[in-house]
Amino acid sequence: MRYQLDLTLRHAEGALARVLGATERRGFRPLSVDGEAQPDGDRWHLRITVEGERGEQVLEGQLAKLYDCLAVQVSPC
Amino acid sequence: MSPPGRPPHAGVDVHAPSAARARNGARWLVDALVAEGVDTLFGYPGGAIMPFYDALHGAPLRHVLVRHEQGAAFAANGYARASGRVGVCVATSGPGASNLVTGIADAMLDSVPLVVITGQVATTLMGTDAFQELDVFGMTMPMVKHSFLARRAEDLPRIVGEAFRIARTGRPGPVLIDLPKDVQVAPAEHLPAHARSPVDAVPRPPDASLHEALALISQARRPVAYGGGGIVLADAVADFRTFVDATQMPTVLTLKGLGALPSEHPLNLGMLGMHGSRAANTAVQECDVLVVVGARFDDRATGKLAEFAPQARVVHMDFDASEIGKLRRADAGVRGDLRRTLAALTLPCAAHLHARHGAARRQWRAACQQRAHAHAARYDAPGDAVHAPTLLRRLSALAPAAIVACDVGQHQMWVAQHWRFDDPRKHLTSGALGAMGFGLPAAIGAQMQDPRAQVICVSGDGSFLMNVQELATLRRYDLPVKIVLLDNQALGMVRQWQELFFERRYSEIDLSDNPDFVAIARAFGIEALHVERAADVDHALDALLAARGPALLHVAIDTAANVWPLVPPNHSNAQMLDADDVASLPLAMPESATPPPEKPHALPA
Ligand SMILES: Cc1ncc(C[n+]2csc(CCOP(=O)(O)OP(=O)(O)O)c2C)c(N)n1
Ligand SMILES: [Mg+2]
Repeated sequence: MRYQLDLTLRHAEGALARVLGATERRGFRPLSVDGEAQPDGDRWHLRITVEGERGEQVLEGQLAKLYDCLAVQVSPC
Repeated sequence: MSPPGRPPHAGVDVHAPSAARARNGARWLVDALVAEGVDTLFGYPGGAIMPFYDALHGAPLRHVLVRHEQGAAFAANGYARASGRVGVCVATSGPGASNLVTGIADAMLDSVPLVVITGQVATTLMGTDAFQELDVFGMTMPMVKHSFLARRAEDLPRIVGEAFRIARTGRPGPVLIDLPKDVQVAPAEHLPAHARSPVDAVPRPPDASLHEALALISQARRPVAYGGGGIVLADAVADFRTFVDATQMPTVLTLKGLGALPSEHPLNLGMLGMHGSRAANTAVQECDVLVVVGARFDDRATGKLAEFAPQARVVHMDFDASEIGKLRRADAGVRGDLRRTLAALTLPCAAHLHARHGAARRQWRAACQQRAHAHAARYDAPGDAVHAPTLLRRLSALAPAAIVACDVGQHQMWVAQHWRFDDPRKHLTSGALGAMGFGLPAAIGAQMQDPRAQVICVSGDGSFLMNVQELATLRRYDLPVKIVLLDNQALGMVRQWQELFFERRYSEIDLSDNPDFVAIARAFGIEALHVERAADVDHALDALLAARGPALLHVAIDTAANVWPLVPPNHSNAQMLDADDVASLPLAMPESATPPPEKPHALPA
């Protein structure tokens, strides 16, 4: 299954690594990563496409727990 | 003589009060720790953390100098587990920080609130492969609740406040602050004084989910409550007991849940899982509604997930929403504060006692209790040799209020099975990580948080040598921890698996060349006793407990003793083995037991 992750992150040191690390460790393979820091400098908007066999709810729940993750939505694509 | 917990040379140095020196980042941090309510930290100094140690000099904080940084992390961990407060440990950059890693991981996996402070090379040197530069921020990323790299002194107030808030809030965990040396020495007069950070309010459970839970429980004829470590983390032990008493639900507990209901409680069927009791595992396999309270379907508890509680509909209550439905589908999931959840469900669920399934429930309860009675552990082992379960049961009766810190292996499981716990904060065990070497430093931390507590460390001959250097810490601070070293001259748990699942090919488990443990303890200045005959156990335990300071009892036990019952790996919890069953059963080897598709209850994991 393929999913699209729409994320808003704090623009904090380590935020990107945490999200990608947690995504892979929870069993999802990133296929594309697209994002940029917002002009005001304190947010990242990130869109990641992943594939994996596990339920997307579990991934969404784990990403939502990250302190640097301000919003996350995982939807099938 | 100095009082317990105080090293002979400790004391406030009046010649160097910290306030007299200009406030830099390190001194600001020390003041902030005091403001956060920290009274004790565990650590080990070195180059990149020297300004912080300079700031500690004369500060109103007790620093416990361990003899290996892993000891600091485990001691802070034991301090936090026993007290419910945030444990703090400190190390220098590079090897100091990497030595902390196992203790941080343990805190993450068992949800223990820690703040970990590591020195780092100056920001100007970071990224240049400087001496003792290690990316501890990156290295610990998967095992912290959060971490900060403090690149400017100005960031310290926010970082320190957030670190303590995050560590304490909701499901607790470790937070790391990596602190470059130049930030420690940067001027900090202009920074505001720190105030203790608040704990976020825990969300209340949504009414709709409470109604769903109630509807499911009302239909139960054979309900079981399955309680875990989340109960004590939510400070919900009293609420859980009220719930169980009011609903008269047979109850099973996880390793970390032990004590949430007193061992002697008539509805307590014991621990479930791989080394769980027959009564607990059978009840779960037969129940029609499983009420999961602060537990997470860990594989050591569930056995083969697809065959766990096959007839049950699941009500799952947890603070951590991501645990609900992670491994087993919840028919009703209740997210939010466990205290409120339990309080809201207690009365309405109690009303079911005499409702339409009242008779069925009474029968079920009686059957569960009868099974618990029939399969109760026995303490009448024949022979001269010391029987570890009997010794532990006896010690638990002699020291009913003790805090017990365990190591990892067979002895850990015997403690879980045979000690009578009535408070989860009195059972310190490395549950999810299963880290050998945890016991002694965790006991040190537990003693430090309450000098009057009776603290007992139960260790194995393998585990004990993993942090044996902390005997020096025990002596230095004159902590009256009592150590029971169950010596089977083997890595017993591994030996047991090799015996049962690897056709007795014993590979690298023999420890018959163990050192003389009594002599080791004495060399550290610690009183030590030895026992090897069952008849001498009572006397030895009395002598151990009567010792004024730290003391060690070395217990020689049979190498061949195993932990029973046992659910073989990748088997259903219905397939419990006892010593008598083993000869007759062909056991699957772990490597050949490729798990079949997990259906119909388990979610793919
Ligand atoms: C740090 C670490 N290394 C290895 C293991 C794997 N392991 C689990 S139990 C065990 C044996 C423990 O031996 P001992 O402390 O003597 O306890 P016993 O099982 O004999 O009671 C080992 C090696 C572990 N859990 N932790
Ligand atoms: Mg052993």
